[in-house]
Amino acid sequence: MNYASRLLFVLLLSMPLSHAFAQTDSTATEEDYGEYDNLSFAGDGNKNYCSNKIEGLSPSKLISLGYDFQGPQTLSADSFGAVSPYERAFGLAHGLRFAANVPVISRNSIIVQMSANYLETRYQEKANQTGTNGILAQALTNNGLRSMGLGTTIFKPLDGKKFLLFQGSADLNGDWQWGDFMPLKYLKYSAAAVYGLRTSDRKQWGIGLSRTYRAGELNYIPILLFNSTNPSNTWGTEILFPARAHVRRTFSPRSMAFFGYELEGQSYRLWFNPSTRGEDLEIRRSEIRLRFVYERSLKDFIWMSLQVGYRINYSYNVDRLPDGKDFYRGFFGTQPMAMENKLTNPLYINLSINLVSP
Amino acid sequence: MRRFLLATFVFLASFLLTAKSLNDPADRLLGVWEPSNGRARVKIEKIGTKYYGKIVWLKEPTDPETGKPKLDKNNPDESLRNAPLKGYRMLKDFTYKGDDEWTEGTIYDPNNGSTYSCIIKMKDANTLEIRGYIGIATFGRTDVWKRLQVPAKP
Repeated sequence: MNYASRLLFVLLLSMPLSHAFAQTDSTATEEDYGEYDNLSFAGDGNKNYCSNKIEGLSPSKLISLGYDFQGPQTLSADSFGAVSPYERAFGLAHGLRFAANVPVISRNSIIVQMSANYLETRYQEKANQTGTNGILAQALTNNGLRSMGLGTTIFKPLDGKKFLLFQGSADLNGDWQWGDFMPLKYLKYSAAAVYGLRTSDRKQWGIGLSRTYRAGELNYIPILLFNSTNPSNTWGTEILFPARAHVRRTFSPRSMAFFGYELEGQSYRLWFNPSTRGEDLEIRRSEIRLRFVYERSLKDFIWMSLQVGYRINYSYNVDRLPDGKDFYRGFFGTQPMAMENKLTNPLYINLSINLVSP
Repeated sequence: MRRFLLATFVFLASFLLTAKSLNDPADRLLGVWEPSNGRARVKIEKIGTKYYGKIVWLKEPTDPETGKPKLDKNNPDESLRNAPLKGYRMLKDFTYKGDDEWTEGTIYDPNNGSTYSCIIKMKDANTLEIRGYIGIATFGRTDVWKRLQVPAKP
């Protein structure tokens, strides 16, 4: 190889290398970060929108698949028609729970999510029970209760501090069966609106109003939102009163525990049995789930959630809807119930696998 | 004469390659950018043929708990939890796909120690849309980043 060939060889070899090293890996040398203190926007600056989250908040669930088990419980049913009051004991009540929250638009200026959910409760009457039985116990034993719905949540930041939150859903609740759905005219509509402030990276609060069935029957209830995290990211609160309120203990961003309650409820139409369908009866089911929850990441964005708690019955009464239409009784209305029932309070456990959000 | 011709050829080839690099549309991504929350600044660099972004400025550089510079304490890899957050590469492995998009990269969120798949789209010379997502782009969130520059001297 002559000199010229060697020169060419060396230069050709060094070209791609020098080309690569022209973009230096600046972490390889000490960098003066002070030079980045006084920079300005090259064009228009960012519009300042507050985030829907605060630091330390538990991750929201995009997809959740779980199963709920309630311990044995006894129904004390009121008289109805010719049927005298009676008691019925149930063994384990259990059912599948599924929820999906898909972000349709997810930008810093607006977040729009569509949601779908399904939950069921299957009841099993204990064997060898004698005495009266009525339509309520029969509906629970033969059909169970199901709720399926679609909804949307919109988070609209107004600026770096203020935000609006809207939530709406339509749910089909009753003793319907797969393959034999209730007509959509029985949909129940819920909605909520909150005006809030994100006062710091660790605190947000808001007030609003909801149209809700969480207390079993239609109600209009004020809402209080309060999420906070302490400076060391170890403790916090996640409150959307009266729907739920929890104290959060964070072990790491991938492992946390909660203690608090959730108010869960809907109005379930007794529809499946044709002989009583025309009665327009609905179970005003509402329960307070006093609970301990542990959530942790199993792998990356797959999280498990384990709830253990005490399910306190708030309402299991039955209303007859005049002309089949829902009505507002509120906390002070005097419209009589068709049945005033009681349900004993069991322990419950709920296990779910979740895909959590960025 | 032959040596001179060879040297000239090598010089021209090198020059052309460098010129191509300077005009490479993919390199428009290089520079310092600020996410919408204004809490950090990220310098995007090119290493080899890929693009990386490291944190070069923090609005709150000190950990209120320790009074020392913030560390990457939420990193799932315990051995990295003592690494300073300033200087940490939060954008990794982006390649230019064309059509103002850089793909196949990841973005790291120091707040929770999670790494997401990420697509960068340049809306204009000074605006990026950064979408972090899980699995498919539907399960994600877009943030707007703005380009920073050294202010002009009066």
